[in-house]
Amino acid sequence: MPSISLPVILASLGQVGSTVLYIALLTAVLEISLYLFFGKLLKHKHTIPIMLLTPAAVGLVLLVIYPILYEVALAFSNMSLRHFQNPTYGIIQGVNNFRTIFSQPVLKQANFFPIFLRTILWTVIQITCHVTFGLGLALLLNRKMVLRGLYRTLLIIPWAVPQVVATLAWRGEFNFEYGFINIFLRDLGLKPIQWKLHPFWNFVAVNITNIWLGIPFMMVILLGGLQSISHTYYEAADMDGAGPFSKFKNITLPLLKPIMTPAVVLGVIWTFNNFNVPYFINEYELETSDILVTALFRAAFEYNRFGFAAAFAFIIFFILLGFTLLYMKITKFDPGLEATRKKAA
Amino acid sequence: MKRVLLFIVVLLVCMTTAFAGGQKEAPAKAAEAVKLALWTQEGESEGAFQFVVSLAEAFQAAHANVTIEVLNKETEALREDFQTASLAGDPPAFVWTVNDHAGPFTTANLIMPVESLADLSKYVEGALGAVTINGKVWGVPISSGNHLMLLYNKDLIATPPATTDDLIKVGKQLTKGDTYGIVWNQMEPFWLVPWLGGFGGQVFDKDGVTPTLNTKAMVDTLRFLQELKFTQKIMPAESDYGTADTLFKEGKAAMLINGDWSLGDYKNTMGARLGVARIPKISSTGKWPAPYTSGKYFMVSNKVTGAKLDAVKEFIAFATNQANQLAMVEKLTRLPALKTALDTDRIKNDPILKSSSDQMVVGTGMPPVIEMRCNWDAMKPELIAALSKTKTPEDAAAAMQKAAEACVKTIK
Repeated sequence: MPSISLPVILASLGQVGSTVLYIALLTAVLEISLYLFFGKLLKHKHTIPIMLLTPAAVGLVLLVIYPILYEVALAFSNMSLRHFQNPTYGIIQGVNNFRTIFSQPVLKQANFFPIFLRTILWTVIQITCHVTFGLGLALLLNRKMVLRGLYRTLLIIPWAVPQVVATLAWRGEFNFEYGFINIFLRDLGLKPIQWKLHPFWNFVAVNITNIWLGIPFMMVILLGGLQSISHTYYEAADMDGAGPFSKFKNITLPLLKPIMTPAVVLGVIWTFNNFNVPYFINEYELETSDILVTALFRAAFEYNRFGFAAAFAFIIFFILLGFTLLYMKITKFDPGLEATRKKAA
Repeated sequence: MKRVLLFIVVLLVCMTTAFAGGQKEAPAKAAEAVKLALWTQEGESEGAFQFVVSLAEAFQAAHANVTIEVLNKETEALREDFQTASLAGDPPAFVWTVNDHAGPFTTANLIMPVESLADLSKYVEGALGAVTINGKVWGVPISSGNHLMLLYNKDLIATPPATTDDLIKVGKQLTKGDTYGIVWNQMEPFWLVPWLGGFGGQVFDKDGVTPTLNTKAMVDTLRFLQELKFTQKIMPAESDYGTADTLFKEGKAAMLINGDWSLGDYKNTMGARLGVARIPKISSTGKWPAPYTSGKYFMVSNKVTGAKLDAVKEFIAFATNQANQLAMVEKLTRLPALKTALDTDRIKNDPILKSSSDQMVVGTGMPPVIEMRCNWDAMKPELIAALSKTKTPEDAAAAMQKAAEACVKTIK
């Protein structure tokens, strides 16, 4: 195997070089055309901003808009292994795909609604644990104490480790024979647990891993929120004789809300769509541990039901869109901090 | 504004120079240079990936204009990625893989028949049969076999059990503390199939495409496995490929069921302690378990043409010539697919290869049809459910059948 050396690096650059070169040339042609059209012909006053923004806009169209449109087209097609290179598109195929999602198993045995309910359960467990433990740790760290920086660093480590690496490491630890949890249980004289084989314990294993991974993010966000709350509120509350719980309920929580709301919304979306943890921990592909996105992946890439999977992806998208709008309405989410601060003051 | 334009032009010139530097060598030989990507599911741990790389390097040394990039992918990842890459229009030129990939690849029209790529009369018929679909051959065989067999640790057990009654008896004596009588990858239905054959079952009806999983034979098989695990307790509560492999290598399992692809590795790590035998005969039926037999194959993308196709043909001929087939026997302890190589004394006089060959005789050819994919996917979760006792053998067999039938419908 060749090691990384200058010729290898140059050869690698050479391999991607032509692609980069084409992109650079196209960008240059685009920029010059824009300059000639807006700058010279129309003498537009916003020529420079247009020239600066257009490449990014083109990139977004190619990398975001086009895939979404392709996804829509796929959802209305019968693309599968049998119709891999010659799929047919149409309303009938689309209706069939959407109807199949709710009327037939989306995996081998599991139907849509049990997986959907499991996904909700998984999201609720995760967000509850992330916010509870994250807030608890943030409150502990938001005090004067010795070695605070060290504790903070240690607590952030799970977030700093790449998710796939951490998940695969956890998967090893759930091994029946050689995992440290079972070795520990055996040493205590307890019965080892079938983390990967038993449906209940497998779901527990998936949850343990993601709770471990998710707490640091919430902790960091909430710690930032806590540090931005002025001490004057607490001093005023002290003068009024408020106790710790009263201060937490009437000052900390309301002032954390503008920070916590987007963090929870993001947390819900990320957890709902978390692929790595449920997919990699569930090594034996138990359908009882699958959530919507892992089922989607299996439908598309293991069972090759591409048209069906595209329609399935849209259902997941609309569920999340609905949730986000509803949550923002219920919490009366206010992206500006001022209104909430004034209210609390 | 002129400054902006000037900046863009200077940037472009710099980038062009930088990337042209990296491409220096390519244009000089552009006329005849051929670059091939070969994906293989051969892993490093058995030394098989290194063998594939060594073949590619030897071929490149003799053909200066050909570059072969060998990439390892796990078996299922190889299938999925090859399909995805073909859809994107940029598949590897050819793959080195197992026979059952021929089913999905031909269904999706991704590979070409190989009759025109090699002289197929030189290869073992059994190996060719496992990649024959609709009368056409879709892969050039590299090895024949790919079958499961019983491996045992001679330090722990002198004579391997001949029947399942013996297996239970010996297994109970050997299972103590952290040592088990027998281990295998309990999670994959590939390891279920031999037992099913021993109980007289087959996964397809006579037409070769209708799943027959909800049968008495399947129920008996699952019940037998539950007995080994929960009643006789001669196998671990949970063991996948890696765990079974480690237990056997560490001397914590007296017997292991594994495939011919692993023989080279075990021979290296265990030396003379390694013994090979047939999987014990089922006492209640008097039948030998029938593992699937096939081999490893070259399958060629139907997007490959011209000089690339010529290079692929040459490499296939090179990789499966007599010398390299015998080198494979030497390094990986696998049975060759070339008739003349299979007929040498080297095979006949090697006790391990002889036992492997002896097991292959009672095996069944693995169906390459796309419907087999449905059977694998349907069997896996139910096998796991039966082995975790979350389903009875009857329920698991019924659920397998239902899932396989539903799957067959979706691929039509």
